[in-house]
This record gives sequence, structure tokens and C-alpha cells, in this order.
Amino acid sequence: MASSSLTQPVPPASAAATHLIELVGVEKAYRMGRVSYPALRGVDLTVDSGELVAVVGPSGSGKTTILNLVTGIDRPSAGTVEVDGQRLDAMNEEALAMWRGASVGIVFQFFQLLPTLSAVENAMLPLDFARRGSARERYQRALHNLELVGLAGKADHLPAELSGGEQQRVAIARALACDPKLVVGDEPTGNLDTQTAGEMFELFARLNAEGKTVLYVTHDPELAARAHRVVTIRDGVVVAA
Amino acid sequence: MVAAVYRKSIAELTRRRARSWFAVCTLALAVGSIGLFAMPTLIGRSMQAQVASQRLPNLTVSTAPLKLSDTQLARLAALPNVEAVQPRAYFMTQVYVGQRRAPAYVLGIPNLANQRVDVVQLQSGSLPQSGQVLTEAQNSLHGLFSGDTGALARVVAANGGVQSARVTGTGENLNAGRDVISNNTIVLYATPATVDRLSGVQGYNSLAFRLRDTGSAAVAATTQAIRAQLRQVPGFTGFSDLPTVRTASEWPGKSDFNKFVDFFYVVTVLALLSALVLISNTMTTLVAEQTSEISVMKAIGAKRRQIGMVYVRTAFLLGGVGTLIGLALGIALSNVLVRYLGTTFFAINVGFGVDATVLGASIALGLAGPVLAALPAIRRATRVNVREALQATGSTVGGLDATDRLLRRIRFVPRTAQIGLRNLGRRKRRNLATALMVGLAVGNLLAVVGLATAISNAAHASWRDHGEDVKISDTGIRPLDTQAARLIRSVPGVARIEPMFTANTRFAGHDAVVWSVKSRTMFRYHITQGAWFSPAQERSRARVVVVQQSIANLTGTKLGQDIRLQTAGGPVTMHVIGIASNQQEFGTAVYVPVTTMHQILGPTAAAGDDYWVQTTSHNHAFIDRTTTKIEDTLAAHGYPVASEIEYVGEANDVASFQTLTTTIAVIGSLIVAISLIALANAMTMSILERTRETGILRNIGARARDIRRIFATEGIAVAIIGWALGIPIGYALDLLLVWLVHHVVHAQITLAFPAQNLALALVATILLAGIVILAPLRRATYLKPGDALRYA
Repeated sequence: MASSSLTQPVPPASAAATHLIELVGVEKAYRMGRVSYPALRGVDLTVDSGELVAVVGPSGSGKTTILNLVTGIDRPSAGTVEVDGQRLDAMNEEALAMWRGASVGIVFQFFQLLPTLSAVENAMLPLDFARRGSARERYQRALHNLELVGLAGKADHLPAELSGGEQQRVAIARALACDPKLVVGDEPTGNLDTQTAGEMFELFARLNAEGKTVLYVTHDPELAARAHRVVTIRDGVVVAA
Repeated sequence: MVAAVYRKSIAELTRRRARSWFAVCTLALAVGSIGLFAMPTLIGRSMQAQVASQRLPNLTVSTAPLKLSDTQLARLAALPNVEAVQPRAYFMTQVYVGQRRAPAYVLGIPNLANQRVDVVQLQSGSLPQSGQVLTEAQNSLHGLFSGDTGALARVVAANGGVQSARVTGTGENLNAGRDVISNNTIVLYATPATVDRLSGVQGYNSLAFRLRDTGSAAVAATTQAIRAQLRQVPGFTGFSDLPTVRTASEWPGKSDFNKFVDFFYVVTVLALLSALVLISNTMTTLVAEQTSEISVMKAIGAKRRQIGMVYVRTAFLLGGVGTLIGLALGIALSNVLVRYLGTTFFAINVGFGVDATVLGASIALGLAGPVLAALPAIRRATRVNVREALQATGSTVGGLDATDRLLRRIRFVPRTAQIGLRNLGRRKRRNLATALMVGLAVGNLLAVVGLATAISNAAHASWRDHGEDVKISDTGIRPLDTQAARLIRSVPGVARIEPMFTANTRFAGHDAVVWSVKSRTMFRYHITQGAWFSPAQERSRARVVVVQQSIANLTGTKLGQDIRLQTAGGPVTMHVIGIASNQQEFGTAVYVPVTTMHQILGPTAAAGDDYWVQTTSHNHAFIDRTTTKIEDTLAAHGYPVASEIEYVGEANDVASFQTLTTTIAVIGSLIVAISLIALANAMTMSILERTRETGILRNIGARARDIRRIFATEGIAVAIIGWALGIPIGYALDLLLVWLVHHVVHAQITLAFPAQNLALALVATILLAGIVILAPLRRATYLKPGDALRYA
């Protein structure tokens, strides 16, 4: 494992916090030109540390919006969002960026790797941004994470030289860079074939088994069924949690 | 109801407003730069109007002062081919400006209210009576003499005394105005009686003629007839200089202006080229960005031609808006520049004007340019594979070729800078085109600065060849004879004097200036072939000449050849014994023994010379004091003189060259403006294209400064590549400009491309690049991650 200078996440602000994620009365409305449409209409949701939670619902129901709020990508129009004791709705963009880099790993449907960086460079990028450890330590850490996802042999490959599944593995290695407590996936298997999607879910399950909280959005009922808990969203409200 | 495809063409303009504005601005600059081609027409048109209203002479002859009666003038006016004649009395003198004496001449014009040739037009005030003067408008415009109406002009008379003349108003004359600008000489207009009182001599020393036929044969015949007529006037000993001829279409300074315009066109064409590259680049980006939409249109049944027409119409609309703004810009720019050049160099107020041909060309380029520039990109985009384009996510593009591999080797910089550098490889063509435009701007500035340095070096070198500190000339009243020479020598502070004089000449169809000098001279000649004339040749008044390299090249003159010089004393054949690399008289001087020229010109020249004077100290204040003493001593003995202090002349020359090169540089700044727009455009495009990527970076912990560093590295790197490209471009352009100086101006200058300018250009490029990318960078750093991820 890498040195402790790389693995220290930001400590929780409140020792009294019982849930890792806590959304209270959250509303979110998006403006599209002159039209405003509500994506979430009063969501209360908690996720505890170590949980493996799937978020499901039809297209446009507000699944991705919940993920965006939990990761500080978007801010709620009303209500509060608290993750690991931090009130995300009260933080500024710069503080949120640093918090995300240190505390949460995000995996996207379309991988979103930087095309000009090799696999290992992509995997060490969050450490570069967080200025954690020496260059050598960062490299070792990224290589270690690539080993975890089974891609150590292709560390110097560019994204264009990797398959979709391999790119998603690099994206997971990148998400693990700062050893976050929380890993979030926005349809992480949506762009993969069934077999690769299965392998990818195994990886999430393993991370969860190692103590990480995993929250992911999916359309796939089979993958959703393998979670500890399924949160169902419809028309911007949680209908089952 | 408007068809959906037409609406899409318009929507493309409003969808990316920033880019549309960039495209419109670029087009406007391109179209505006074409407007600059209207300058020769505009200035020519105004000049011709001025020439007609001032009835400029076609032929001017100068003589020793002659008392011409009305009958004699009427006989001259009645000569065949003569339309009108105007006698004038020139008095070269000095005028007090505060406590300083500045070179000046007073022009005595009979019957000021009814001038027939070379008219001085009254601008303000009233015509002068005896003892009063009218000041030339350019005197105050060029800061030489600001005597307002009612002020007293203190003029140095031939006897050395100072006579005060009341200024009655302001007058304007093209020829005199040019004298003010080119020679830094104050010009005052007066009646002949006033000039008589100042000079102590009666009579006219210049006759201006308007001719019916300005063909060379007719002018030569008329000149002969005038000479024959004047022989009947007591005191006429011949023309004191070559007659000045102006053909119908010529105006004062036209050849200088045309030479200037050649340089100007080089810079304008470069500006136009930069703008066209930028338009092409913008249109390519606009179309390339639409690849997935084009695929959607193809997928739902659109034909290539239909898709192509969507973008052709967009390009046409952009062209229309750009052309409208560009036309206004071009008209304004050309009029402002022409007005500036007119008042700065040609003593003319140019009115507002438009050149229809240039206007037509501007509209044609403005409308057709963007469409033509977009066609290759449209062709490429409409041939795209539908399935691949629809599936493309953009995340795996780039990073695979040799340039990318090379960029990946740069690992010694921070990761953010590495990302910025590697991004250069992702839009190679656009980045290269942007760098090329920066290169053109840098190259243009390096070349113009190089040219200015070369001209300045040549000007300094030409003055360094002068061995004298001051030149003393007679004012046409009393020639400087041997007694005057003794008087000059007797002035304390004078170390050495040497007789010399200059005269206009023509040979092999080109104007030149004869410098009549001693064999052993204080002038520093640089012989490249043959030899300088010997004391024996000087004593024997040998018909020998040393020709400067530039005029030798221009006329095809070779060492050992005989050439035929046209002089005021008639044509004369001279043997070329030497070629010199000096650059006197803008490269047009030829050197003849002073004794030989005395013999050729006869009594008009034999009577007296000018004198080069070396002072015992080269301190400027000492030279000034000694010059004043020489002037006063000579005036006290009845020798009115004019003086030309060399260090002052050198400073004036260098300043006038600087004005010229600064003007070219200002026009060249168009290219800088275009390249800056290109850079800002490229950065905005990069940032827009990578909006989602920026969102991802923010999501994995990138701070605002990380994002700023990534894009700033990219922008600055493009600018530095542009700077590097600008060095060979600048060198080539400098060579071209120097070649133009050789072949258009016929002056020998040595290429100058100072290394320190490269460093200065690098600093300026980085600074300017840093400034223009600020706004796009701001957009990138202020993007909210959520908005960035949803950006499409």
C-alpha cells in the first residue's frame, strides 16, 4: 500500500455524524432558457458508511441529479446536503473541488479520461491536483490502483489504445487515487457489454467489501438487485429507499 | 413560414455568439484592410484638385535676380506653349523663433490678389502689404513658427540687421508647404517690395510657367525660348539651376508617396493574408464542431448538398455582417490615414472620399471569402461516416501521432502544464494556423523594426561621412567669394574650411545631384571601384566623375564609361573614374572636381561656393555659437548667408525616417490585431470544445488555478511557437523590404535584424498572449462543474 501521506482523507467535520450521506428536504430546479423545471421535489435520503446503494428510476426522474448533489457537482435549490460531516451546500466551488478530489471518487458512463494522458497519468491526476505525496509516491499509488483493476500491464497506454472496459477500469483507478470513503458511479456500466459490466460490478462490490461506501445509478435491474439497498426515484421524489 | 434548414443557418450564428463575433471581427478587419488600397486614389484625387486650384507650374526656372518689366513679362507670357507666367523673388534667410534663428525663406509675389501660377491661397487673415508677411500654414502645423495673425516676424535681413514684419494671416501653397515639411524651413509670403528691402537687391530670381503641352519635346522647346527671351534682359547670365518640370499628372511628393505606398502594400497584403487564414480557420472550426449534427441530418435523409447549403448560408450571413462593418472600418481607416499622411508629409488637407473600385473589391471578398474558406471543411464534414460520427464521444481523440509522442516526452513541467502542452496536438491544424498568424505579426514587426534600424543606420552613416560641422551657403544675394572665405577662416573656433557646392543634374533619364568638391576633401568618400579624382585632375578641370553605387545601379553606369550630364550650363560628357558606396542625397549624388563644375556652369557658379566648416570643438553648443559668429561676421561685411548645422540635419533626418517607419508599423499593427483575435478565438474554441473535460477535471479535484494553468500553457505555447515561426518570416520580410528599398527607393541599406529585438518580441508576444487569453481563461475557471458536464 502507498504511504500514509497519500491515504489521509479529509477528516469528518463532526464526530457526531451518524450517516455518511444525508439529504434533507432537497429540491433542485434547472433553468433552461426561460423555462425552469424541477428535477428534485423534496428528497430526504441517508446512506450509511459501508453501504452499497443503487439508485434507479426512469430517464429524467432525477437519479443523476442526486449523484451530482452528493458529489457537490450541483447545489440544491433548497434543503441541505451533508457528506461525511461536510455541508456541501455551504461550500464554495473551490473548496468543493478540493473536497471532491480528496473525498469522493467518481466514475462516469463515458469514462471521461483525458485522451492525451496515459492510463497511469490519468490514474494519478487527482493526486497531482491534491498535491499529495511526492511524484514518485503518486506514480506508485496510481500503478497500485491500476493493479487493483487489473490494468498494470497497460499503464503507459493512451485511452485510444484501450477498449471500453479497460478505459472504465482506468476511470475506477482514477476514482480510487485519493483513497476516498465514497465511490460514486453514474451508470458506470451503461456503455459496456454484459460481461464487462458484470466484471465492473464485481470491482465495485470488492471495493465495498474493503470498506468503501458505493453509490451508483443504473438502468439495469440485475445490477440494481445486487446492491444492499435500492433507492427508487420517480418524478423527482424518492418513492422507495 | 421559413424552412427549417434556413432557420438552422441563422441559428448557427446565434448558437455560438462569441465565435460568430470573432468571425465577424476578423472579416471586418480583412475587408477593412482592403480599404487601405484606396489611399493612392484618395490622396491623388485631393492632390489633383489642389494642383488645379493652386495652378501649379509645369516649368520653373531660377536665375540671378532679374529686373523684369511688365513688357518683358508679357513677352514671356506670349511665348508659344506658355499659358501664364508668375515671377517670384526668393530670399533665403533666417527668422527668429524666440531667441533662436531658424532657416527660412521669404517669397516675394507680385499682385498677390491676382496670382496666375503657383497660387498662394489665403487661409485666414488678409493679404500682406509692404513690410508685412503671410505665414505658410505648415509653419505652425509642423511646429516651426507659430506666428499668429498680428504677431511680429523678426527676419534677418541681408545686411545682418533684423527687420520686423507684421503677420497678416495664413497662406497655403503645395510647393512651399513641402519645403516646410521636407527641409524644416519656415516659409513667409510677402510683396516683392518687402523682399527687396530685406535682401537689398531688386528683381525676381524665379519664374513659374504654366504650359499648354507638357510633353518633353514641347517643354524643351519652351525652355529654349524662355532662355532666348531672357538673354535680352540685362543681368541674365543663364539659369542658376536645372529647370524644374512637372508633368500634368504629377504633384509635389507624388514619387515619394508612391514609394511609400509600395512598402505599405506589402504590410497590407500580409494583414489580408492573416485575416484570410483566420477566416478559413474559423469556418473550419464552425463546421467541424457540427460533425455529429451533420450525421443526424444525414441519418434522417438530408443530402450532402442540402447540408452543405446550411453552412454556406451561415458563411454568407457572417460575410454580410462582416462586410458591412468592414466597409465602414475600411472607409474610416483609409480616410484617417490619408488625412494623417496628407498633413504630415504632403502639406494637404485631404477631404473625405471613397474609391468605388476598392469598395467593390471589399464587398466581393467580404461575401465570397467566408464561403470559399468554408467549402473544404463543408466537403470534409458532409462525407463523414454517419455511424462513427453518431457514436463518437470525443474522449479518445488525439494523442497518437509523432507530435503527440514528442509532447509526451516533456515531463519536467507540472502535470497541468503537461496537459496544456499535450492539448496542442489535439487540434494541430488550428493551432498551427493560429501560431502562423502570430508568426506573421511577429515577423511583420521584426521586419519593420529591422527596416527602421537599417534606414536609421544608413542615415547615421551618411551623416558620418560629412567631415564638416556646419555648411555655410550664400542666399542668392551675394556670392561667397575669396574675401568671404577669409572672413569665415578668421572667426574664432573655425579649424578648417573647404569650398564646395551642389547642383541638380539629370543623366540616363534620372535626377541626380552633383557635389562639386575638392580632390583633397574633408568629405569621407568610400571608393569601391576605381579612384577619387586627383589634385592634377582638379587643376586641369578634367571632365571626370565619381558616381555613387545606387545611382550607378539605377542607370546602369559602369566604371570607365562616359556619361552625359544635363546641367544648368547645358549637357556635358564626363568620364566615370570611380564608384563610391556613399549614400548622399538618398543615393543620387555624383562627385565632380569643384574646378570642373565652375568651368561647366560658367559665371553663375564661378562667382562663389558654399563652404564646409570644421570647428575646433565638436561640442554642439560650441558649434552653435561658432555658426552664429560666422553668420554675423559675414552679414556685417554684406554677405547674407544660410547655415546648415550637421548634427541638427542628422537629427531631423532620423526623426523623419522614424515617422515613416512608425507609420508603416502602425499599419502593421493590423496584423497584430488580427493575430490577437486569432489567438483569443483559438483559446475560446479550445475552452468551449473542452467544456465537459473541464467539468471532469473539476470533478476529480482540479482547482481554478489548475484549469487556468492548463489553458494558459496551451495559449502561451501557441504564442511562443508563433514567435519562433515569426523569426524566419521576419527575416524573409526584412530581406523583401530591403530589396524594395534598393529597387524602389534606389538607396543602399544594409539588412539589420538585431538579436535583441527577438528577445523583446518574445516578451511582447507572451505578454500580449497572456492578456488576450484572460477572458477565455476566466470563462474556463468560472465554469460550474454541473453546467460543464451538461454542456453540449
